[in-house]
Amino acid sequence: MKTTETIDIRFPKTLAEAVRLQADEKTRGKLLAGGTDLMVQWAAGVPTPERATSVWNLPELCAIEVFPDRIEIGAGVTHAFLGDAVQIHRHVPALIAAAATVGAKQIQARGTLGGNAANASPAGDTAPALLVTGGSVLLASLAGMREVPLNRFWVDYRKIDAHPDEIIVAFRLPKKGKAQERFRKIGTRQAQAISKVMAASRIWVEKGTIRAAAIALGSVAPTPVRLAEVEAFLAGKKLTPKLIDEAEALAQATVKPIADIRSTAEYRRWASGRLVRDALENL
Amino acid sequence: MSTVRRTWKINGKTVAVRAPAGRRLLDYLREDLGLIGSKESCGEGECGACTVIVDDEPVVSCILPVGQLADGTEILTIEGIEKKRIGRLVQAAFIECGAVQCGFCIPGMVVSSYALLAKNPKPSTRAIREGLAGNLCRCTGYAKIIAAVKLAAARIPAAKRK
Ligand SMILES: Cc1cc2nc3c(=O)[nH]c(=O)nc-3n(C[C@H](O)[C@H](O)[C@H](O)COP(=O)(O)OP(=O)(O)OC[C@H]3O[C@@H](n4cnc5c(N)ncnc54)[C@H](O)[C@@H]3O)c2cc1C
Ligand code: FES
Ligand code: FES
Repeated sequence: MKTTETIDIRFPKTLAEAVRLQADEKTRGKLLAGGTDLMVQWAAGVPTPERATSVWNLPELCAIEVFPDRIEIGAGVTHAFLGDAVQIHRHVPALIAAAATVGAKQIQARGTLGGNAANASPAGDTAPALLVTGGSVLLASLAGMREVPLNRFWVDYRKIDAHPDEIIVAFRLPKKGKAQERFRKIGTRQAQAISKVMAASRIWVEKGTIRAAAIALGSVAPTPVRLAEVEAFLAGKKLTPKLIDEAEALAQATVKPIADIRSTAEYRRWASGRLVRDALENL
Repeated sequence: MSTVRRTWKINGKTVAVRAPAGRRLLDYLREDLGLIGSKESCGEGECGACTVIVDDEPVVSCILPVGQLADGTEILTIEGIEKKRIGRLVQAAFIECGAVQCGFCIPGMVVSSYALLAKNPKPSTRAIREGLAGNLCRCTGYAKIIAAVKLAAARIPAAKRK
């Protein structure tokens, strides 16, 4: 028997039902959305859990809502669905661009935003784009709804600030407004490649001066990171070639990437600076 | 282990499914139904050899648990695509262009090409590359495969209906 066949998978019909299952240790299961991370991990030998709780297609997790100041995207929304949701593209373009680089069509059709965030790989492509919005995650449990700012959500390598009984319901993301966003991913090939480094930015420039800058990188630390020092350095300054040189150097000085099978620490450090330059040169 | 009972449409036929919830769709199709056109190569979602269409979207069946497909799901495998007009155009174009060598990747390539053309009958080269990016071929070097999809697309206007 194939290993995943031994798992007792539950299929709750509503979020309330799923939350009840997760509340009790005796019925709690590993949350399973599109399975594009989990099924691969299990096939590769990660021990299968006794139980899983499917959140795939839970209606409460599949909504996209647009408010005057923000949008809310359900955790169960797939990367393909984000690509089709043209009504939100201008509010979070970096996120849309990031979702379009996840795997290829087949993976985008099943992989979800919630799964990408909860898997908490430092190479998760949507994380930097979520981070630069300054938004938050909404988590549900029997105790009710809890809101966690995204910049405190990824706490360590593959660790998120979610309790065992909590389910990610949605991402609450402020619209970009007058700011400009950009997403760039560097991998070995364009499709189906795990990132060596990627960057997302949301920068607001007014009359040649940077009013506010949010820049986040992935694959350069145990978690996706905001470049707080670079952001603070840029805020309030005139956008000039010299400023861009300095920001690039500062980014290279502040990141502390590691070497692994996908890239070297030196390359990642260099590329981090280039991605910051790329974000600023394209304003 | 938990067993699910579902009713799906596979290649247009209603099928009463009974399988372990965690059984991979690929195993169900190949072993339980004998639909062995879909291939397994990597078994980890990377190569696309096992691609089938679920509710109009191409998916990799080697990482899809059966339980996650609800009642009413419509599945199209390479066996069903052969019976679709665009499917036959793709098949003929692959043959004419010599887009096949060992053939192992081809069912998946044809399914992804069909999925692309069914949505976008006039794809740009870029759209073709993106549509097939999740399908790896060890033999052909892709150029003839892309030419085949272009040829099939060029023939669609005359035979627009599926
Ligand atoms: C061939 C291939 C290529 C890939 N390429 C990329 C890539 O380019 N970039 C990239 O970032 N990723 C990539 N991935 C990884 C994966 O597709 C994404 O991370 C995807 O978004 C995961 O979503 P899922 O719904 O499939 O998650 P699942 O596998 O279902 O779950 C992943 C994790 O999230 C948890 N989880 C799921 N939903 C919730 C929820 N609502 N609340 C709490 N926890 C939850 C699960 O318990 C699990 O720990 C690739 C995967 C494959 C197989
Ligand atoms: S066998 Fe399924 S993607 Fe390779
Ligand atoms: S023809 Fe041999 S893998 Fe594609």
